[in-house]
Amino acid sequence: MSTHTPTGRPGAVTDDVRGAWRVVAEREITTRVREKSYLYSALVMVVGVIATVVLTSVLGGRPTDYTVAVTDGAAASVVSASSDAVDRADDGSSAAPRQFGSVEAAEAAVRDGDVDAALVPKDGGYEVIGDSEVDSTLSSALTTVASASALLNNAEEQGVDLDELQSGSQVTQRLLDPDSDDAGARSAVAFVFLILFYVTAVTFGMSIAQSVVQEKESRIVEILAAAVPIRAMLWGKIAGNTVLAFAQILVLAAVGVASLAAVGETSLLSAVGPSIAWYILFFVLGFVALAGLWAVAGSLASRTEDLGSTTMPGQVLLFAPYLVAVVAGETVKTVVSMVPVVSAMVMPSRLAEGGVPVWQLVVALAVDVVAAVLIVRFASRIYERTLMRTERRIGFGEALRLSD
Amino acid sequence: MLDIAALSRSYDGVLVVDDVSFQVVPGRLTGFVGANGAGKTTTMRMILGVLAPTSGEVRWDGQPITATRRRRFGYMPEERGLYPRMKIRDQLVFLARLHGISREDATTRAMELLEHFDLADRAGDLLDSLSLGNQQRVQIAAALVHRPDALVLDEPFSGLDPVAVDAMAALLAAEAGDKPLLFSSHQLDLVERLCDDLVILSQGKVVAAGAVDELRGRGPDRYRIRLDGADAAWIRDLRGIEVRDVDGSTALVDLAGVTASELLSTVVAREPVAEFTPVRQPLSAIFREVIR
Repeated sequence: MSTHTPTGRPGAVTDDVRGAWRVVAEREITTRVREKSYLYSALVMVVGVIATVVLTSVLGGRPTDYTVAVTDGAAASVVSASSDAVDRADDGSSAAPRQFGSVEAAEAAVRDGDVDAALVPKDGGYEVIGDSEVDSTLSSALTTVASASALLNNAEEQGVDLDELQSGSQVTQRLLDPDSDDAGARSAVAFVFLILFYVTAVTFGMSIAQSVVQEKESRIVEILAAAVPIRAMLWGKIAGNTVLAFAQILVLAAVGVASLAAVGETSLLSAVGPSIAWYILFFVLGFVALAGLWAVAGSLASRTEDLGSTTMPGQVLLFAPYLVAVVAGETVKTVVSMVPVVSAMVMPSRLAEGGVPVWQLVVALAVDVVAAVLIVRFASRIYERTLMRTERRIGFGEALRLSD
Repeated sequence: MLDIAALSRSYDGVLVVDDVSFQVVPGRLTGFVGANGAGKTTTMRMILGVLAPTSGEVRWDGQPITATRRRRFGYMPEERGLYPRMKIRDQLVFLARLHGISREDATTRAMELLEHFDLADRAGDLLDSLSLGNQQRVQIAAALVHRPDALVLDEPFSGLDPVAVDAMAALLAAEAGDKPLLFSSHQLDLVERLCDDLVILSQGKVVAAGAVDELRGRGPDRYRIRLDGADAAWIRDLRGIEVRDVDGSTALVDLAGVTASELLSTVVAREPVAEFTPVRQPLSAIFREVIR
């Protein structure tokens, strides 16, 4: 090795080429975050997440405060007593009586929608009056409480020991799968994540391809390739865009969790919370595995317009799991949830729905890591061969046959 | 010392650079000339490691060159290019850091170069908002921003007006200092004026290489004799010379057996002489001769 010292200030030069990828990654990040279009699209996605959570909450199992019309004190106390049962059946809901002078006035209030139902005395018991229907939660709570209180009153009048009467009648509930009542909401969350991941993966995948082709198009690639090994540029781009994609997913997940908490969906939050971590882990692994192919798509193109055709394999690879996740049956999902890249979208949604054996999770993770290493290595070879060929677009087959 | 040792490169079986060897000596400007397609750019790309040689190698101080060493080179490719939508200062700092310079040093150096080119007030402008001439200046700055140990410049003078050529020549002479500097050019008069050493490439092969003075000395010793009024036709009859041309009182002769002083005394003995001058061959003549 030569002992010739550069004319720059001593200590100002790092002779380690291996650190060059960091400089490339830093440029990828700083140029991207300064782009208005990038900021807007990120903002749109954040707003989308908030809107989805709010809408799901409004349309779905939102707590309701029922008002029930009554005409006498006994019915009023039945309604008040049933409030607990309503709350048990539908988290956060309640029921309150409202006094009316006559059955007719109560019926009119039901018809006008001022109250949710009416509870009026009828010979030998009570009648629940609804307009076209009575909410089943409310109806069953009222019925249970009314008949139980009538039974207790009668028993008391007959001088029966109340404790004895009730003995053996206590029924409690124990759920084997306590989260299953959130299943619908959880698959909705999985679906939203799927879309966000797909969009994020395509956005930053395209960003890698564009960044590569722009360097080819502007011809700066020759200066870059003369300065640092071509592989360092590839790693820098993959690292920079993975960090950006990871950050975006992290922000979206945080916004999602925060808005779930804000609208009071605490039970749904505790159900999907842990699986969000899996989503992010699988997403990053899947993104890195595909990142090499995006870079190759860029290096095969000679102009930005070529990207449409050279990025096709990447787009298909991303869209396929999206389709699978949406339409496939359980068996197919189980198998593809362990296929690399595809697993990034399918496995987390299976995890969110629950019941995934640990070995399948381990296999999916291991296969994904191995695939990421192999694909990036393979991509790096193609990238090195094709990057300097700026004159025209190169086909995939041709790229494989090219020599150094 | 940059040593190009038996570099060859073929594309699809066609040899475009054939066993090229020459040296770029520190402190001496080395010109690289040759017709279009002679293989200059391909050779320069191999020197920078942008293109892998089919055979042969590049050495630095006698050792095979490494990526770390190449990182300290400055390169201006034939196809100019920078990031069009990046601020010129950021762009220069990025390139310097890519070459291994710290951010602080890179920033200082970038501003220094921009000031030299009177572009300091445009440091925050995007490259594509600059005129072509200014873009070319930034391109030169990009090759110099990391204080390279060696410079390889492909056609650095192309597209420059005469004033810019002079400025560029002065800058290169100052920047090169005691470093190896290789540049290619089509403008032979410029190469002749600036270069200490010369490498002439033809159809992928080195057809001449060495100091410019030495190369020009290769031709015959030619003298122009102008008599003081008399007709010079009789000079044709002298022995030991080859007469190239006679026009009135002027003759152009190549020495072929006699020395210059012998010739001069012979002529002076017969007629008064107004002028006796050695004629140096222009580079273009040497060039045409060797690439034939």
